[in-house]
Amino acid sequence: MAVTKVVVDPITRIEGHLRIEVQADQGRITDSWASSTQFRGIELVMEGRDPRDAWAFTQRICGVCTVVHAVASCRAVEDALGITIPPNANLIRNLIHGMQFIQDHVIHFYHLHALDWVDVVSALKADPEGTARIARQVSPWPNNSATYFAEVQARLKKFVSGGQLGIFANGYWGHPAYKLPPEVNLLAVAHYLEALDWQRDVIRLHTIFGGKNPHPNFLVGGMASAINLNDTATINAERLTDIRDLITKAQRFVEQVYWPDLLAIAGFYKEWGAIGGGVPNFLSYGEFPEGDITDLNRLYFPRGIILNRDLSRVQAFDPALVQEYINSSWYEYAAGDTAGLHPWEGETRAKYSGPPTPWEYLQGESKYTWMKAPRYDGHPMQVGPLARMLVGFASGHQEIQGLVKEVLDRLQVGPAVLFSTLGRTAARGIETLMLARRMNTWYGQLVDRIKSGDTQTFNGAKWDPKTWPAGEAKGFGFLDAPRGALGHWVKIRDGKITKYQCVVPSTWNCSPRDPKGQMGPYEAALVDNHPLVRPDQPLEILRTIHSFDPCMACGVH
Amino acid sequence: MTPTASRPAPRDRPGFSLAHKIPPPSGDYHWVYLWEWPLRAMHWIAVLCILALVATGLYIGMPYFVTGGDTSQHFLMGWMRFVHFAAAAALVATAIVRFYWLFAGNKFERWPALFPLFPRDWGNMWRQVKFYLMIQPEKAPHYLGHNPLQQLSYTAMYGLGLIMVVTGFAMYGQSNPGGLFYLAFNWVGVAFGGMPVVRFIHHVCTWLFLTFIPIHIYLAVRADHLERTGVISSIISGGRFVPTSQHFIDGDDV
Amino acid sequence: MSLPSTPAWLTGESLEEGLVRHGVSRRDFVEYCGGLCVVLGVGRSQAPKMVRALLAPQRPPVIWLQLQECTGCVESVLRTAEPTIGDLVLDLVSLDYQHTLMAGAGRDVEAAMKASMRANAGKYILLVTGSVPTKEGGIYCTVGGRTAQDILEEAAKDAAAVVAIGACAHFGSVQAARPNPTGAVGVHEIIKDKPVVNIAGCPPIGDVVTATLVHFLTFNRLPDLDPLGRPLFAYGARIHDQCPRRANFDAGQFVEQFDDEAARKGWCLYHVGCKGPATFSPCPIFQWNTRTSWPIGAGHPCLGCTEPNFWDTMTPFYDRLPDVGGFGVEQRVDILGAALAIGATAGVLAHAAATGVHQMRERKRQLPVVDPSSGAPGTPNS
Ligand code: HEM
Ligand code: HEM
Ligand code: NFV
Ligand code: SF4
Ligand code: SF4
Ligand code: F3S
Ligand SMILES: [Mg+2]
Repeated sequence: MAVTKVVVDPITRIEGHLRIEVQADQGRITDSWASSTQFRGIELVMEGRDPRDAWAFTQRICGVCTVVHAVASCRAVEDALGITIPPNANLIRNLIHGMQFIQDHVIHFYHLHALDWVDVVSALKADPEGTARIARQVSPWPNNSATYFAEVQARLKKFVSGGQLGIFANGYWGHPAYKLPPEVNLLAVAHYLEALDWQRDVIRLHTIFGGKNPHPNFLVGGMASAINLNDTATINAERLTDIRDLITKAQRFVEQVYWPDLLAIAGFYKEWGAIGGGVPNFLSYGEFPEGDITDLNRLYFPRGIILNRDLSRVQAFDPALVQEYINSSWYEYAAGDTAGLHPWEGETRAKYSGPPTPWEYLQGESKYTWMKAPRYDGHPMQVGPLARMLVGFASGHQEIQGLVKEVLDRLQVGPAVLFSTLGRTAARGIETLMLARRMNTWYGQLVDRIKSGDTQTFNGAKWDPKTWPAGEAKGFGFLDAPRGALGHWVKIRDGKITKYQCVVPSTWNCSPRDPKGQMGPYEAALVDNHPLVRPDQPLEILRTIHSFDPCMACGVH
Repeated sequence: MTPTASRPAPRDRPGFSLAHKIPPPSGDYHWVYLWEWPLRAMHWIAVLCILALVATGLYIGMPYFVTGGDTSQHFLMGWMRFVHFAAAAALVATAIVRFYWLFAGNKFERWPALFPLFPRDWGNMWRQVKFYLMIQPEKAPHYLGHNPLQQLSYTAMYGLGLIMVVTGFAMYGQSNPGGLFYLAFNWVGVAFGGMPVVRFIHHVCTWLFLTFIPIHIYLAVRADHLERTGVISSIISGGRFVPTSQHFIDGDDV
Repeated sequence: MSLPSTPAWLTGESLEEGLVRHGVSRRDFVEYCGGLCVVLGVGRSQAPKMVRALLAPQRPPVIWLQLQECTGCVESVLRTAEPTIGDLVLDLVSLDYQHTLMAGAGRDVEAAMKASMRANAGKYILLVTGSVPTKEGGIYCTVGGRTAQDILEEAAKDAAAVVAIGACAHFGSVQAARPNPTGAVGVHEIIKDKPVVNIAGCPPIGDVVTATLVHFLTFNRLPDLDPLGRPLFAYGARIHDQCPRRANFDAGQFVEQFDDEAARKGWCLYHVGCKGPATFSPCPIFQWNTRTSWPIGAGHPCLGCTEPNFWDTMTPFYDRLPDVGGFGVEQRVDILGAALAIGATAGVLAHAAATGVHQMRERKRQLPVVDPSSGAPGTPNS
């Protein structure tokens, strides 16, 4: 049988510029290449800068996960300079980062991922009564009325008949892979719209602490938003009440809309629990320090490594074993193409060697992407919600185990489905639910501290460069971002940055082949029992790729 | 022995003097009238303005004194800026008159005397440098007005002043976009690559002023002391005593 | 009046129908447009015109290119505030191409874009986020195998208006900061044959984008721009001249370190590097995220993100002066300047001493020659 070469470029409903090429044969994908097609060189821009500014520069790596690079950068610089941030600042960072997860994951589900599973056109045929019945069965959400769904449907009809389809033009409507009944499609479309309003609202938590979103402000040594209950220009009682309301609002939506929708939709796509597993190794740096940042036992999501899907053993993460390869990427290393460099010695030397534009195919090229290939002790690793939940599950994290089991029970499937496209999407929902609840704990802790008289948000002891270590200072900042394990490495000398390297979640997941020929997680997932029914309608490719929630601006930077 | 200083005929324009024209201790000297009163007035007004600008400018640049308590009771930065802008206005007014005086002043005050324009000035500059280095001081060129080194430094001072004015007004204009100063000076930000750079230049040039001023005062005092010809007082009294026998490069027709 | 938040791309109905359905009377709507006219600085009398334009049955096509960027600007537009100027505008346009939200992918969306460009030649509005890399033939950003520059030039050719959203499209933002590894430039560096509006900011407030679109839809021309191409209605004044902390500035009340007493009173951030005095932006007035707050309002100095090249000219962010050619860090300028001034004074004093020694020697040697008749060489002259 002749293989079909398929190019999907641009992959839409992601952040950034991703090109996927595959070869398909008889409805199955046989080979795949993931190419990230944007490079900016932000690591190079960092050299010679004031390390206290680094958070703002690196934050602009991505405006979608807009807080994570800033926090990783602050942590790296604080590590290098020996700065400990006050507990209040840590709680505020947790609240901001927590809300980032919640908002990012919900947007991902409804606005980036849902249209892979939800046929908007089919929703036209739905019986709004039926939609309301289904919705009420799973959730007490106040909008679950037949009138409400009928209204949404009426607008949709009008829209489709109006002929100007806008962003819905040329979707894959009617594709046989769409399995939802019209009533569930209508439910999802209604919540697509509600989620747009909701995300705009809950993200205001960032604005209160950081002045704006996207790209709220951070500060090396703590946070700039001073706390003073007796002033109007500071975090005061009114602001704290706003925060509490936003957390409540976030939690209610996640519990009553996102979570039930996720389970409902997943129930129709159980076969995707056997598709797209890919790389069997998982890495989580862990996140949400609830004590000192160096205290690994007090991370809400634990740190660790799982190899070969072996959930009986969580290995400790050793930062020294991270290396990046460029044999398939448009870079060069002084030590040659097959070398692997630890970020401390990392190099970012762009050297394009692909075909002239416009491209027809990149498959077959020895180098085909701007993405580097990070490996842990030589292994490609999957990072992200699934990695976090698996590491948590395997480490005996009670809440994670409880929720994972709940999902498996509700879907009536075994744990093997976790290693799949469906597993990644479900894990994202699980951690969103956990965080939506956990936010209350951090909020309560912050308020308690303020009540007890501790309003400190910044440690200025090492603000002045004169207080910095003599010679070279090195630091790293790890965190787990919505899309997975994120690390920043910084070297500082004479008050300036001399080297900056980032290894980002999407770098791990979108990595190309390494010198051993091992594919990265996107690529491996696409060839793991993966269907492609109609090569000219790459819906299944979108499903698996979107289950990783790609962010190309992050991955290459 | 009494000096045989003979008072020269007053120059065509009358001036008034604040200093006694004490003759030098000995030798054959005569009095030359160099700086007419408008120039002297301008000099001292400018000195006062610049001192005020430096003092207030440094505060604006680094407000060390911070007021406490009720905001409405204080206007410290407000006053600093007010004085800065008032002094700036006075300085500019003075500069305008000085500009006119470049053409209307006497021989020593006109533009050719202020800038080292002629090849002979550049040649003499080297000899002047050696003079200050105390190498062959006797070969120093003699000028009645500014010697070439002075010319150069005054040119630099005027240049600095111009930079301060241009950058200052460019910053000033920002608060009222569309206003006169904005329209007149907005090009400055564009030319220098952004207002922060303009601010930086304004700030740095302050230090250049502060570097120049002690040198300038020293040279004036030094000359006065060494030559005892009333150089320092010349910027007060308007003239100086010079040895009658001395030939001056710029003194042929005096 | 609070307008319903309904994204445009779902509504087939005209805006008027939508408003009626949401219980918004026509009078309210006229009133709303009046408010919008004031924001845009065109005067309330233009409201009827805006009403007519916004109620047109056919939604004007919009093509949104995303080039070399971080997608922060897209996110910002998704957060447009209540009363939702953003929703209003999104209700009005037909978003025919937009990567982050489109249902289709690959060839299918490229085809949709081409179709819209053909059908609406001369009529569509082109929005651009992201910069254009120019080094190495622009290979640093491609979509569908074509370079950003290629795509931009094609899309701009038949656009009725080109709106560059955000610092990247304005001047290249962070990727254009020293040493600008990819040669990133803003849209106006590529598109020279028509005016480019720069909605400055990294990102800009989403409402500024939508208000600019409303202006175009209503008056069929772009709003008045400042010399940098930024709409005057939004970028017409400095932050410093609109800042609620200005009273503290004038009073001389400054935060000297984060979280100090002054910070807890909400005093002026000048001392910790605020770039408000050099930044034209509507942040203090429009505010961010449904008028919730803004950077200075949350205690952090302004970074100057609406100014060209702010990554180089406004850094270090926590110093008042930029780090021009390696100066500036920790007031190095002042230290250097003071050293220079003190050095000059010291030099002058040393020279004076040397002169004195020299004079004494000379006098000993030349005393008889210089002035044998002098009674008191060396006595002060006054
Ligand atoms: C010898 C002349 C002058 C000196 C030494 C001087 C000095 C200074 C200094 C040190 C600063 C602070 C700069 C900073 O770090 O931000 C400053 C600010 C300023 N100066 Fe001057 N300046 C002079 C002349 C002028 C003139 C002629 C103007 C014209 C209006 C002017 C207008 C300003 C303005 C607008 C500011 C910024 C004040 C603010 O934005 O609050 N200056 N000056
Ligand atoms: C801010 C401080 C000062 C500045 C910017 C300044 C600037 C100048 C300038 C530009 C001239 C040339 C005048 C012209 O031809 O246009 C000049 C001349 C002169 N200044 Fe100043 N001056 C300053 C302070 C002083 C002080 C404090 C003294 C006295 C101790 C002084 C003594 C003189 C004398 C004696 C001359 C005439 C020198 C000559 O050409 O032989 N100046 N000054
Ligand atoms: N990959 C990635 Fe990010 C995340 N989450 C960052 O570290 O998306 Ni923009
Ligand atoms: S201008 Fe700033 S926020 Fe917008 S895309 Fe560029 S880097 Fe991101
Ligand atoms: S906080 Fe910034 S913008 Fe506001 S008054 Fe102070 S310096 Fe000006
Ligand atoms: S940093 Fe940008 S968002 Fe506003 S306050 Fe300053 S212009
Ligand atoms: Mg990197």
